[in-house]
Amino acid sequence: MLKTLTAQDLFRLLDRVSRDYNLLVPRNLDDGTRGLVKWDGQQLDFCGDPLQRKPTSHFFPQTDLLVQLLKDGTASVPRKTPEPLALLGLCREDLQGIAFCDRFFSVPPADDIYLDKRRGALLIGLTGQAGPEGEFLPLAGQDCDIELIAEKPTWTAVAYSEPGAHLLEEFPDADPQGFERLWERSAEITVARQEKLAQAAQLLQRELVTDDFWEEIAARCIRCGGCNFVCPTCTCFCVQDRQGSHGTERSRIWDSCQLDAFMREAGGHNPLGTALLRTRRRIHHKLVDDPQRWGEPGCVLCGRCDRACPTGIGMYSVCDAIVSRFGERL
Amino acid sequence: MKTMALHHCSYQVARAKVETVRALTDLEKLFRLVLPDGEALNHDPGQFVQVSLFGVGEAPISICSSPTQLDSFELCVRRAGRFTTALHQLNPGAEIGIRGPFGVGFPVIPLEGNDVMLIAGGLGLAPLRSLIHYIIDNRRDFGKVDILLGCRDPQSMLFCDELEVWRKRLDINFSCSVDRGAPDWEGNVGLITALIPGVHLEPLKTVAVVCGPPVMYRFVIQELLKKGIAERHIYLSLERHMKCGLGKCGHCQIENLYCCRDGPVFNYADIKNIKGAI
Repeated sequence: MLKTLTAQDLFRLLDRVSRDYNLLVPRNLDDGTRGLVKWDGQQLDFCGDPLQRKPTSHFFPQTDLLVQLLKDGTASVPRKTPEPLALLGLCREDLQGIAFCDRFFSVPPADDIYLDKRRGALLIGLTGQAGPEGEFLPLAGQDCDIELIAEKPTWTAVAYSEPGAHLLEEFPDADPQGFERLWERSAEITVARQEKLAQAAQLLQRELVTDDFWEEIAARCIRCGGCNFVCPTCTCFCVQDRQGSHGTERSRIWDSCQLDAFMREAGGHNPLGTALLRTRRRIHHKLVDDPQRWGEPGCVLCGRCDRACPTGIGMYSVCDAIVSRFGERL
Repeated sequence: MKTMALHHCSYQVARAKVETVRALTDLEKLFRLVLPDGEALNHDPGQFVQVSLFGVGEAPISICSSPTQLDSFELCVRRAGRFTTALHQLNPGAEIGIRGPFGVGFPVIPLEGNDVMLIAGGLGLAPLRSLIHYIIDNRRDFGKVDILLGCRDPQSMLFCDELEVWRKRLDINFSCSVDRGAPDWEGNVGLITALIPGVHLEPLKTVAVVCGPPVMYRFVIQELLKKGIAERHIYLSLERHMKCGLGKCGHCQIENLYCCRDGPVFNYADIKNIKGAI
C-alpha cells in the first residue's frame, strides 16, 4: 500500500495513531540530542540527528522486572498491559536493530518479558529527507508497520503490516514511479560503509586479524561499557534481586561483555579474562558469530557506538582499522 | 510484528522443598529436593537447573541425580560465594525456587551399546554422577564401563560411600587419583591424566565423557586421542555462568553457541576449533 500525505494528512494520521497507541515522536531536545517524546498533538521535528537512545530500549529497557515473590510465598510474573507503544522517527538502522531483537527474543524459549512490550506496538519508520539538514536517509523497505518517506513538502507512506494498512487506508494513493525514484536515490548512499563492514567481517571469518591488533585496540578500551549500552542489538543482561516492603523483585539489568566480571565463574575460571579476549569478542560476536547463528551481522551500522566511545574504538572505527591493516590479505 | 505467540513465562519459578541436606566435604553439600506433589523433574543426565533464593539471587546448578530417580532430584553444591553460602544454610523443609531443567545433557543414545569411559575431575563428578547412576540403572544397555576420578586430595573427594560401591562392582572399572596424598591414603597420587594410559580399551567402540575444571580438559583430551579414541567420540561438559538458561543473557556464549542451550555438554569435534571454548 503506497500513499501520499500532505502535512495536514500527516497530523491526521498521528492523531489517529495516538487514539489507540501511546505515540512517541522525534524531538530535537534542548541538550542537543534527539529523542522520542510523547506526542502532544502539535510539536515534532522531522529532521534531526540520529536518535540518541537505542530504539530497542523501549522493549528491552535498562532494568526490567522479571518476577516478584510476594510475602505469602507466591511468585508472580509482571503482566502489565499498558497502552501499546507507537514509535515514530525510526531510521532504517533503528528498524533493523528492532527486527534483530524481535528475532532474538522470539526464538524458543521466547522471552515473554520482551514480547509483552513488543507485541501490539506500532513502528513508524522515518526516512527520505529527514537527516539533520534534510539530507536523504536510506529507505527501510521493511521491519516497520508504516514507513514515512519525507519528500518535502509531502510524504510518501508505505504500509508493511495490517495495522499499518488500516491506518493509511483513508489517504490518497501515491505514484509508484515516484516511489521507484526514491529507491534509486536510496541505493546511492551508505554503500561504502556497508562494504567496509563486510570486508572486515570477511577478514575476521578467515581469521586474518592477528592478536597484536586486538592488543592495540584493547589497550585503548577504558571499559566503560558504553558501546554495549548504546547498541540496539546488544541484548546481554545480568539478573539481580532486590528486597522491598512487599517482597522480592527480580529484575534484569543491561550488562556489558567488556567488563572483566561478565563471564567470571564462581570457581574463578574466566573465559573472557583478558582485555584482548573481551575486545575481540565485541567485534567478532557481531560480525562472525551472529551471521553464523542468525544469518546476518549483529551490527546495523547505526553509528551509536562510534559516537559513544570516548577512545574512538566503536564498531565502524575498528572495522576501518581492520580493513586498513589487513585488507590486502583478502 | 507478525508472529509473537506467548509461551509460558520463561522466568517463572517453581517451588521445590529441601528434603534432606548431607555434608559431603567441608565445602560441598548434597541437597535432595522434591517438587510439589512429588512431580518428576524430567531431566536428562548432565542438564542443569537455575536455583533461586529470593532476595539472594539465582545460580545454575547441575543435577547430580539420575532421571531414573523419579520422586526427587539432587544437587551437589560447593560453597564458593554469597549465593552458595546462603544455600548451605538451608535446612530440610526449606523452600527454594527452581527453573528448568535446561540445556543439552550427556549423550545417552550414542553411549548405548558402546564401551563408556567416564572421566571426572573434582566437582565435575557431580554432573557426571547423574550419568553414572543412569548407566548403573540401565547397565545392560552399555558395554564396558570405566570411571576415572581425579581430585585435589582425599579430603575433597565427593560421594565417598558411592565410590566404594562402584569400586567393588564387577561390572565397573573404577580408579581414582589425588593430586596430593595424605598419610592414610593408599591410592594413586598424581594427575588424572596418569590414569588414562593404563586403561584397556577398544578405541573404535569407546565413547569418553569428561567433566571437570577447565584446566583439565586439554590434557585429558590429549591422552584420549593418544589412546586412539576418535574426536567425535569425546564429549565434554563445559562450565559457564548462565544467568538465564534461555540463551538470552549472553553470559555463557561461546562464539555462536550458547552453553545453556547448545550445551553444557558438547561433542569435542564440534568445539575443538572454537577459541576460548576449552
